[in-house]
Amino acid sequence: MLNKFLTNVGRYFLFLKMVFRRPEKWKLLWRQFIIEADKLILSSIIIVGVISVFIGGVLVIQTASNLENPIIDKMYIGYMVRESLILEFCSTMIALILAGKMGSNIASEIGSMRITEQIDAMDMMGVNSAGFLVLPKILAATILSPLLMLLSLALGLFGGWIVVESTQIIPPPSYITGIKAFYNGFYVFYSCFKMSLFCFMISSISSFNGYYAKGGSLGVGRSSTQAIVTISILILLFDLIVTQLMLY
Amino acid sequence: MIKVEHLYKSFDGVPVLKDISLEYESGKCNMIIGASGSGKTVLLKNLIGLLQPDSGDICYGEDKLSEMNYERQKALRQKIGVLFQGSALFDFATVLENVMFPMEFFTDWSKAQMRERARYCLEKVNVTGSEDKYPNELSGGMQKRVGIARAIALNPEYLFCDEPNSGLDPYTSILIDRLISDLTKEFGMTTVVNTHDMNSILEIGDKIGFISQGSLLWQGDRHTILKTECKELRDFVCANTLARNIIEGR
Repeated sequence: MLNKFLTNVGRYFLFLKMVFRRPEKWKLLWRQFIIEADKLILSSIIIVGVISVFIGGVLVIQTASNLENPIIDKMYIGYMVRESLILEFCSTMIALILAGKMGSNIASEIGSMRITEQIDAMDMMGVNSAGFLVLPKILAATILSPLLMLLSLALGLFGGWIVVESTQIIPPPSYITGIKAFYNGFYVFYSCFKMSLFCFMISSISSFNGYYAKGGSLGVGRSSTQAIVTISILILLFDLIVTQLMLY
Repeated sequence: MIKVEHLYKSFDGVPVLKDISLEYESGKCNMIIGASGSGKTVLLKNLIGLLQPDSGDICYGEDKLSEMNYERQKALRQKIGVLFQGSALFDFATVLENVMFPMEFFTDWSKAQMRERARYCLEKVNVTGSEDKYPNELSGGMQKRVGIARAIALNPEYLFCDEPNSGLDPYTSILIDRLISDLTKEFGMTTVVNTHDMNSILEIGDKIGFISQGSLLWQGDRHTILKTECKELRDFVCANTLARNIIEGR
């Protein structure tokens, strides 16, 4: 088992070496980058938005129900909601959601190209198939994913505000004061960095699994599932490592 | 010309190709024939570099495939056209974009020039009016034709076809065979066709190599195949009613 694990790690890094080879034509890389940005990032906006609005609302209610002490200023509820969103929800939780959506999309797309010999056809033309298919996905996911994190933050805070306004669980001005209080820009940078790292892992690991898929359509399904499980575990592991390195 | 010398290949210790030596000549339809599981596709994949042989050499002209670095292999591959068994057309591209794909990578032509060349190749394989369709909107025969058009887009010196007739009706099969043969002669390509279809063999087999259980048992052409003394090949040939009737003089 250890042998298989180490073999896969080695193959993954050799795969990355292939992916980051100099592109045949920069113009084609740019064209694919735009296509992948649309497919991976723009198409995720709705799911990220909906989840963020609801989670923002839920966080307000949960935090308020846990801070009913009259000596604690209500604005701390807004502050705690913002910090929870920035530090953990908007990067780690959104990345876990994207692991399912983006990861299965990439692994099944590349996997079905592998089993229908489309990747072999590219290789036979002399095209670096890994570079052409995977590099634009990794670049789009890694570079543009912080925008999803920022969008999630904004919509999460907005979701919280809707709940505050509609239920008056705390005074709305206290919520607004709270989400503006003790702002630390480094936390936003930390969250954006995590999001980029996680999306790099999502795009590269799911591509790796798809690229080496074998065994027909069952094999594609297996590679997709395996990719999502691996990515989910690694996201949690690297969340711990990055948090320890950057915040402590 | 392609020369194969003492080629061996095995998977997990099981030998699949045993001491294969062959020469493929330019301007001819060279065929690899044999029953399913005999090692034809493995040989073809070794020839085009998708698999590495355990030992032996494959020479393109004077150059050994095993001694080529990445850049030289890449340059060689631009001279190779491959028609895969399932056509392997790109799902994300239209018919025209599929044929233009290799041009986008390896030429500096303008879009208009690429379109013109792609249309020319599609005309050569008798596909017109379907340029904007996606592969899943085409029949199997049409997909094969587009696959051939893409394979000849950059005027290759070598054309490899893996089971070009699989899944096609007899009439379309013959059309595809003739197309491959005509293009081979017109462009002077070295064509290697991997098949177990006796009709194809008798129609276009200029040079034929018969493989059984990984070994090359017989070489000849479509005129001598029906007179063979090789028992395995006779059994293979006689599985086809027409060929059996010819052999038995009926």
